[in-house]
Amino acid sequence: MIEINAIHKRFYNQEVLKGVSLSVKAGEVVCLIGPSGSGKSTVLRCINGFETYDAGSITIDGVRVDANAKNIHELRMRVGMVFQRFNLFAHRTALENVMEGPVYVRRTPVAQAREQARQLLDKVGLSHRMNAYPSELSGGQQQRVAIARALAMEPEALLFDEPTSALDPELVGEVLNVMRSLARDGMTMVVVTHEMAFAREVADRVCFLHGGTICETGPARDVLTEPQHPRTQEFLRRLLSSSDAHATANPN
Amino acid sequence: MFLQNAIDFLPILLKGAVITIEITACAFVLSSVLGLVLALMKVSRNRALSTFGSTVINLIRGLPIIVQLFYIYFVLPDMGIQLSAFQAGVIGLGIAYSAYQAENFRAGIEAIDHGQIEAAHAIGMRGPLIMRRVVLPQAFRIALPPYGNTLVMLLKDSSVASTITVAEITRAGQLIASSTFQNMTVYTLVALLYLALSLPLMFGVNQLGKQLALRKSR
Repeated sequence: MIEINAIHKRFYNQEVLKGVSLSVKAGEVVCLIGPSGSGKSTVLRCINGFETYDAGSITIDGVRVDANAKNIHELRMRVGMVFQRFNLFAHRTALENVMEGPVYVRRTPVAQAREQARQLLDKVGLSHRMNAYPSELSGGQQQRVAIARALAMEPEALLFDEPTSALDPELVGEVLNVMRSLARDGMTMVVVTHEMAFAREVADRVCFLHGGTICETGPARDVLTEPQHPRTQEFLRRLLSSSDAHATANPN
Repeated sequence: MFLQNAIDFLPILLKGAVITIEITACAFVLSSVLGLVLALMKVSRNRALSTFGSTVINLIRGLPIIVQLFYIYFVLPDMGIQLSAFQAGVIGLGIAYSAYQAENFRAGIEAIDHGQIEAAHAIGMRGPLIMRRVVLPQAFRIALPPYGNTLVMLLKDSSVASTITVAEITRAGQLIASSTFQNMTVYTLVALLYLALSLPLMFGVNQLGKQLALRKSR
């Protein structure tokens, strides 16, 4: 469904992506892992046209992604995004945040959009907080509203950009649970994450990025338990030895 | 003596006060609309538009209000544009204040977290819709307290319109003073009238600011 073919990108003199290729089939969950600066967020942001790329190609169901093209808005409706910092509309309630896209972009009748938003908030376990403003919600709750907001556009795939990195450790679990159930329902997902336990359990495939290339890719269990590439081995060893990662790797 | 004079002068000054309120209100509306347009130009990603916006803002800010009023009232007729003193006052003050309004709105717009704009793009929203649904509603809330202060400043600066014969409070005072020589009585009354208008406004603006602060910390 998502085909990334040898994309290159440079910021000024720095080449941040050096020929990244990745293919994501419908219903697949792919986790991108790697140290900061490895280019994993940039890959993700290229998929829905938040970043341009200099060479190569990205297509979604055969439609080329071009950040400057007129059809980029239609493409973004088909590929939703969830951000590290939630980015909820601060002046609107949880319910209004979820309704915003359907009502003003898809022109769904308000009553219908409200009903749908209620169901989505119920699905992410927030039916009791529908009328709360973002400032009244915990980080975990805000992120779950953000997921519901993305789902309201009925996307074919969802991109997650470190969705739990800005959360207190005790709130990580509730967001991962929602993502887990999305994966179970067959949602196509590309997830940039440091949650190795989540990747091992949910991902069909894990890609380890380093220095703008994919060093190693394969079934989650193989890459995470028996990494072949020395860079992957070192990265995972470091991640597991830091106590912080240990705490968040076992949220419940 | 003061009281007797005050009773005699007050009706004329009150008529002036009505005109002060009218000219302030009209100029405020005009400056808000122009200011919003200039602010949107200035934050636009279109280079030409944004340069044009900031140039206009700088030109307006670089000119004394009184010169702008003279230009509109005395020079435009030479080009065939006849305006009444009141109209010239409204337009002159409206333009002069649009620059301050624009800077105020711009600050509000730029205070919006870029992440929210990105999130709006991510659900397929386009620029103008994002402006209308995400940026401006929050920018207005941020810009509201300084917006109120601008209104108070404009109320006081409307006295400049006296120089182009708009019969607002100051002009009315001048006329009475020059014919009765009761300078102290007249200008004391003029000052009190301005305070009677501006102090409640300032109080209102303060209250508004406090309420907004409360809502934010909710």
